[in-house]
Amino acid sequence: MEATLKSLSQDADSDMECSDNDCLDEYDYYNTADDNDIEQIDPSKTDPEYFEYECLTEEQVERLLNETVEILSNNLQITPSLAKVLLHSHGWAVTIIATKYRGNPDHLLISSKVKPSTTPLPVSGCSRYLTCPVCVTPQIIEKFFSLSCLHLFCKDCWTMHFEVQISQGISTAISCMARDCEVLAPEDFVLKHLSRSNMREKYQQYTFQDYVKSHPELRFCPGPNCQVVIRSREPKAKRSICCQCKTIFCFKCGMDYHAPTDCHIIKKWLTKCADDSETANYISAHTKDCPNCHICIEKNGGCNHMQCYNCKYDFCWMCLGDWKAHGSEYYECSRYKENPNIAHESVHVQAREALKKYLHYYERWENHSKSLKLEAHTLEKLKSRINQKVMSGLGTWIDWQYLFTAAGLLAKCRYTLQYTYPYAYYMEVGPRKELFEYQQAQLEAEIENLSWKIERAETTDRGDLENQMDIAEKRRTTLLKDFLDV
Amino acid sequence: MANIAAQRIKREFKEVIKSEEVAKCAIKVELVNDNYTELKGEIAGPPDTPYEGGNFILEIKVPETYPFNPPKVRFITKIWHPNISSVTGAICLDILKDQWAAAMTLRTVLLSLQALLSAAEPDDPQDAVVAKQFKENAEMFHLTACHWTNIYAGGPSVNKDFDDKIKKLVEMGVDEHEARVALSSYNWDMERATEQLFS
Repeated sequence: MEATLKSLSQDADSDMECSDNDCLDEYDYYNTADDNDIEQIDPSKTDPEYFEYECLTEEQVERLLNETVEILSNNLQITPSLAKVLLHSHGWAVTIIATKYRGNPDHLLISSKVKPSTTPLPVSGCSRYLTCPVCVTPQIIEKFFSLSCLHLFCKDCWTMHFEVQISQGISTAISCMARDCEVLAPEDFVLKHLSRSNMREKYQQYTFQDYVKSHPELRFCPGPNCQVVIRSREPKAKRSICCQCKTIFCFKCGMDYHAPTDCHIIKKWLTKCADDSETANYISAHTKDCPNCHICIEKNGGCNHMQCYNCKYDFCWMCLGDWKAHGSEYYECSRYKENPNIAHESVHVQAREALKKYLHYYERWENHSKSLKLEAHTLEKLKSRINQKVMSGLGTWIDWQYLFTAAGLLAKCRYTLQYTYPYAYYMEVGPRKELFEYQQAQLEAEIENLSWKIERAETTDRGDLENQMDIAEKRRTTLLKDFLDV
Repeated sequence: MANIAAQRIKREFKEVIKSEEVAKCAIKVELVNDNYTELKGEIAGPPDTPYEGGNFILEIKVPETYPFNPPKVRFITKIWHPNISSVTGAICLDILKDQWAAAMTLRTVLLSLQALLSAAEPDDPQDAVVAKQFKENAEMFHLTACHWTNIYAGGPSVNKDFDDKIKKLVEMGVDEHEARVALSSYNWDMERATEQLFS
């Protein structure tokens, strides 16, 4: 037996697929100044998620990099190739390199592996022939080449060396072939020895990737097969959307956007979740029993306010507690209650308590993530419900559009709420955590209210719902303002 | 490419044979086949280490891209060392990986391996169990490594106590090597080793 409760909220992805130019602004809460009647306010001050960035093509990035290379090579009177080595090892910070160069050029060149750390010994003797130490073939001296370390190897061996390295995906890190010699092969030296065009192409492609990765203002769009590079002059862990493939990600780490949690914590959390997935899977099975009549309930929508279709009991999907307690101003189910006597308990109990704590946060994280994944489905249901209303003469299609707007906002709020759980999990117990969990509970309560209201909207009167939307979004931005630290 | 590899190995083979280390019986190489793709190496356990007096056989496979890529080397002789797998003989050594340089030779590889036996790097372990023992119970590590050298590499130091413990387990039907691994992993605690073997 299965009791199904409907809950509706709009698909997070479809919300996020909108960008300024190809989609109606009504879903796009992130990028629009929504209230035209309010005077223009500086969004960088009011919106904690405000982020300025641009999407660049490969050619634009190449131009940008080349400009920087030219500035440095003109500035220091070095070849563009050497400038690239220096820029790559110094995060493309022209001024820092220039200062260091003026201070102590030798030190800079040695630490950047342009010059060897010990003064190389010139090849002695005046023989016309040398034996290459790699292929052990005696050859005429003109066939030998070296980097600044003066380690001589024959042309064919250099070529082979570069080809082997490139076929292993190495480009900017190719070094000299001598033992314990760290001097790097600059671009012009490598290209001089590569004749096969596919090798040259590969080399240039790999160096380009290395350059972008070492540039703090640039980040490859993590979307599959997407060539776009995002650039921001203020590289922070903020929300960026690729203009091509619409992938949404954190600019700093390239993972899914994760405010208010920071890059380091979210990585730790995701690794932990992956490791513990077996235990957690067992706990967070897709079904739960109604706490009142024990009928089995499958949750197939986004709302956590559940009403059992069998016994009409209202309860919370998260904690299975009576919903009445949640309706009041102090919504507590998002909060994990730490056992105060834990320090005196045995190791075994402590371990169990640790697992309990983790599962508390994990379950809530999973719950919201599942809710978001169900958005496409619930959006469909919303559509068909509106259709029914319109058919039975209750307003026009346009009158009901506000529900989609509300569902879009709901998805956005739920997304932020989901990412508050890893943040809370790693927070130290104290007043700040209490404040955080209080705000989190407030946000969660308003999200559930909103979700419930969207599902139950019976009239085209949007006043109440819009009010609820406003409250939910305010709670979300307040939490981010207080805790998003990037 | 294979041409360079064979050419190099031929040359290096001669270099090792003539080297002063061979004269001192410290290192040795032998050809396994005619096309120079596989060799057998041998190094003597360095003095003042638990490996002293032992002879360790190495499998050396020469890739087609040699010397632009490092040779693939592993211990055939079983050895108790933090950077060498006690199960497979796989070696964790930087010059056999990213620190390889085309100008290095078999001789430098063998000498580096010998140096590794003298100075382990427990923070970059290949065998986690051995590395843990090395860091937490140095004396036990030393005794265990001596014992392995004695049994597998012909080292001189006989450990009567260890031999007896293994004998007991063998009498209970356990394979000798398995018994040695279990006892070594549990600091020669009979009870815990037995528990692990029969669980």
